[in-house]
Amino acid sequence: MKKNNEKVIFLVVATGVSSVVTQLLTIREFLAQFSGNEFVIAIILFNWLILGGAGTMLANLYIRFFDISISSLSRFSLILSSLPVLQILCIRLFRDTFFVYGSSLGFYPILAYTFFTIAPYTLLVGFVLPYSLYVLRKMNPTFSGSYIYITDNLGDVSGGALFSFVLIYFATPMQALFLSGVPLLTAAFIILPATSRYRPGVLSGTAVAFSILIIGMLLEPSSLSSHKGKPVYYSESRYGRIEVHQDQEQYTLFKDGVPVTSSENLNMAEEAVHYPLSQIERVKQVLMISSGSGMLKELQKYNPVIVDYVEIDPKITNVMLRFGMINKIPGLNVLHNDGRRFLSGTERIYDAIIINLPEPDTFQINRFYTDQFFSVVKKRLAPNGILSFSFEGFENYLAESQRQKISSIFNTVSNHFSQVLILPGQRIFFLCADFTIKTDIPKILSGKGVDTDYISKYFYGNLSHSRIDHLNNQVDRTTPDNLDLSPMLIRLMFSQWFAKYSTSPFWFVVAVMIFLLLYLIRISKEEYVLFSTGFITMGSEILVIFAFQIFFGYIYLQIGIIVTVFLSGLLPGAWMGERLKNQDSMGNALAYTDCIQIVLIAVFIVAIQYVGDRLPVAFFLIFGFLISMVCGFQFPAALKLQGGDNRAATFSFSADLIGAACGVLITSIILIPYQGIMWATIFLLCLKISSLIVIVARKT
Amino acid sequence: MGKVSRRQFIYSGAALISSIAPFNIAGAFLNKKAEDSGVDDIRGTIFKGDAPGKLWKWSHEGYIYKKLDKKKVVCGICPNMCVMSPGDRSVCRSRVNIDGTLYSLAYGNPCAVHVDPIEKKPLYHFKPRSKVFSIATTGCNLRCLNCQNWQISQAKPHEVRFQELFPSEVIKKTENYLAESIAYTYSEATTYYEYMIDTARIAREKGIYNLWISNGYINRKPLLELSSFLDGANVNLKSFSEAIYRKLNGGSLEPVLKTFKILHDQGIHFEMTNLVVPGYVDNEDMLKRMCDWILENLGPDYPLHFSRFTPRYKLNRLPPTPLSTLVRFRRIAMAEGINYVYLGNVPIHEGNNTYCHNCRELLIERQGYNIPVNNIKNGKCSFCRTIIPGVWN
Repeated sequence: MKKNNEKVIFLVVATGVSSVVTQLLTIREFLAQFSGNEFVIAIILFNWLILGGAGTMLANLYIRFFDISISSLSRFSLILSSLPVLQILCIRLFRDTFFVYGSSLGFYPILAYTFFTIAPYTLLVGFVLPYSLYVLRKMNPTFSGSYIYITDNLGDVSGGALFSFVLIYFATPMQALFLSGVPLLTAAFIILPATSRYRPGVLSGTAVAFSILIIGMLLEPSSLSSHKGKPVYYSESRYGRIEVHQDQEQYTLFKDGVPVTSSENLNMAEEAVHYPLSQIERVKQVLMISSGSGMLKELQKYNPVIVDYVEIDPKITNVMLRFGMINKIPGLNVLHNDGRRFLSGTERIYDAIIINLPEPDTFQINRFYTDQFFSVVKKRLAPNGILSFSFEGFENYLAESQRQKISSIFNTVSNHFSQVLILPGQRIFFLCADFTIKTDIPKILSGKGVDTDYISKYFYGNLSHSRIDHLNNQVDRTTPDNLDLSPMLIRLMFSQWFAKYSTSPFWFVVAVMIFLLLYLIRISKEEYVLFSTGFITMGSEILVIFAFQIFFGYIYLQIGIIVTVFLSGLLPGAWMGERLKNQDSMGNALAYTDCIQIVLIAVFIVAIQYVGDRLPVAFFLIFGFLISMVCGFQFPAALKLQGGDNRAATFSFSADLIGAACGVLITSIILIPYQGIMWATIFLLCLKISSLIVIVARKT
Repeated sequence: MGKVSRRQFIYSGAALISSIAPFNIAGAFLNKKAEDSGVDDIRGTIFKGDAPGKLWKWSHEGYIYKKLDKKKVVCGICPNMCVMSPGDRSVCRSRVNIDGTLYSLAYGNPCAVHVDPIEKKPLYHFKPRSKVFSIATTGCNLRCLNCQNWQISQAKPHEVRFQELFPSEVIKKTENYLAESIAYTYSEATTYYEYMIDTARIAREKGIYNLWISNGYINRKPLLELSSFLDGANVNLKSFSEAIYRKLNGGSLEPVLKTFKILHDQGIHFEMTNLVVPGYVDNEDMLKRMCDWILENLGPDYPLHFSRFTPRYKLNRLPPTPLSTLVRFRRIAMAEGINYVYLGNVPIHEGNNTYCHNCRELLIERQGYNIPVNNIKNGKCSFCRTIIPGVWN
């Protein structure tokens, strides 16, 4: 019997490993398909956690009608081991079946697509966890529900670490699914009694599951092919999917499915380089944060002494060099680093800083357009230096949401530069300096002897004085600045995104609120504690990653460690909670741990507010570990307070997952963008205080 | 471990083989053409009950519509033929039914007003280097996924910032800017038909040219009336496929072809623009069919522009059109017999220049919007005296 227990526990760990690897790969796959902003990322996670919670509840319903058996668990796990391959394939294949090829999608199609494509897997994975507990309890009625929680978390931590530190470097998505699926497949097979293993049904089921894992790897290249041209390069980097497609002589670099730059990109290269560099007397030292095709070639026309080209993803620079999108020019230093982190650390003073990044629709990119960032830029610019960056432009009319976005940036950067000129076009260029910026760029270039094909011939027609004046007069001086801890731009990017698809999240928000209200009305006090803890743990994780990348830069490895630490704190916490025996002490413990969480969040608020970028990395790690440890502790305590039976276990798992789902959604798309990090943290604090009140009220 | 029986082995083998079946289905999905992806028709629909409670200053009763039973109206401007009950708004978002009368809400309230070089329209055979006073209100009768003016074409009149510029004021502004022409452009001019035709009428009286930059999605009657004031047009021929028109543009090819025939019959100078969207429009067979139709119905003299696609609006996951595709298209179209074929959105290329269709000499060299060489005198080639189609200085 004990041996059977161990096999089922091995299966739970294997499920945890497989589910986390699948979750991370699914998020990356969706981002590659939808090139998501912060809203999209939150929707995917929300769907995942909500469906997981629903699957958990289904387990409780299932056992009312069907017997609990180890063979059923084996069957479910067998399906679970191969379903991720089918899930990823479905996401890839059905996108162009349901949506027009080459088009991007708005909020509701993404919501529906992510929901339905992950529903089978997430419902099943949510189902299997409590069902495993039922099976264990059938063999051993005193088996603790908390132990399953600990075991599942062990699997989650292992899966997260395996993916973030190993698989991401060495395996394609299908290879990663194979490697994480085989242990689960093996576990599903060996939990069966020896007499059942060689039945035709079991053998064929196992063979089918295994063959799906194998065939998934064989189908990897073809499932990625598209009509974009001949695929000549594909790689999964730490930062996303990189592809290069060749269409005749043209190479186009795609990052997460979006064409970033192409080898015939003359207009963009000339505008990005010559607009700023034409303005300055001497071009000796230039910093480029990311680059488009052809930019270095244009830069070379000024014979700079030093060109520091900073690119966070080494694979991007390698592939751009390989396909001739950038050239090695004299004085070029390619630096693989986060641009903001590099700028904060370097001692070099530049004559020009050219930022060539995507639209600021994620927290990661927003950091390059904040008041604090511009302050750093100013320190690294020569007195007669210039800063340049650009956004998606417009042809003939500046929409209100875009006007607000430009106004926010204008107002923010104007705090640091006395002159800011905005140039219209397919991209809107910002030129920022402390000297008068001239608008007759073709004339200046001609005076400097710099030849251009596009600017010299098209500038006067496309950028007439009236168009330039018109745009600069559109700036709304009352639009708030974009700050590190209050990312106004993210909010405006959401507005722009919704305007583009003529849609609004109103009905979604209403539906979530109604669901949440109904849910909160009917759950027990202990479940509310778990709900709030799940919310706070997830919300804190988002806040910590958000704050960390502001202060330290987007450093893949360290962020991976933070996420792992967040998961691993659950284990010792749950172990300590499991050791509590006395009912009274459990109630007290819940109240005390709520107090600890309140204190931790309060410390976080004070630290962010008063210490900010002087905080050591260890602070974030310790904070994450302690928050999740408390969360881990509360689960077994709350479970035991509810009696610890199957129903209680199911509902406790659900409360944790639904709380986490709401934490993701509310923190990342409402609290941080609309209220800033400080109020977001204060909201979490209030939520935990409400949980404490509920616990105290329960006792009295 | 027990011994596997032959029955068990066969059972497992069959299961293994059958597991490949879903992947064959996957293969079928993967081999689909871009044209087969997604929904087949993205045409817009009427906005039920979306009309404002009362009219605003910039309203004007429609010129071409019919009243039906129960105070319904049917708009006669474009092939959408919107049938609106009281309180409804048209597909183009600019026309409403207020108590049984059709009104345009886009009259004298342009949201985009600019002075452009005529080459930007693009019109290469109409008064080169002249300035064009360009206006647009909101609204479009199509739903192109790659619209470059979606901020106004897919908006309602009250959703944008606008200037007040009634027809007579448009004329004054045009004169102030020393522009020779007025272009009704950017969004879809057909949707502000009343504003356009009233302005065009005054412009004609004042000797100012009227240029219609359009998707060509218009009915015969309004086009004939408009034609009496038009001097030139650039009409998009977005593709030569009914299916692509429905999928990418939410329209139909046939009415656009009729528009070309009417403009041709009315003797109006027009040029055609074909945006070569990779995966959809970059099809040589389709191109040849298009050229055959043009030659058969319009003749070889109307300029044809092949424009380079760049990712934008909702169609932003496609690569730009390779230059060589555009060059090949130009070569094919010229080989088919079209005399004047140009490349658009390509900075420096001979495909921007005009060459005499008779003697092949360089007539107009275009470097962006600069014209360093112009060998057209009195509408004729300076070298062989052949008449060059167009409206020249």
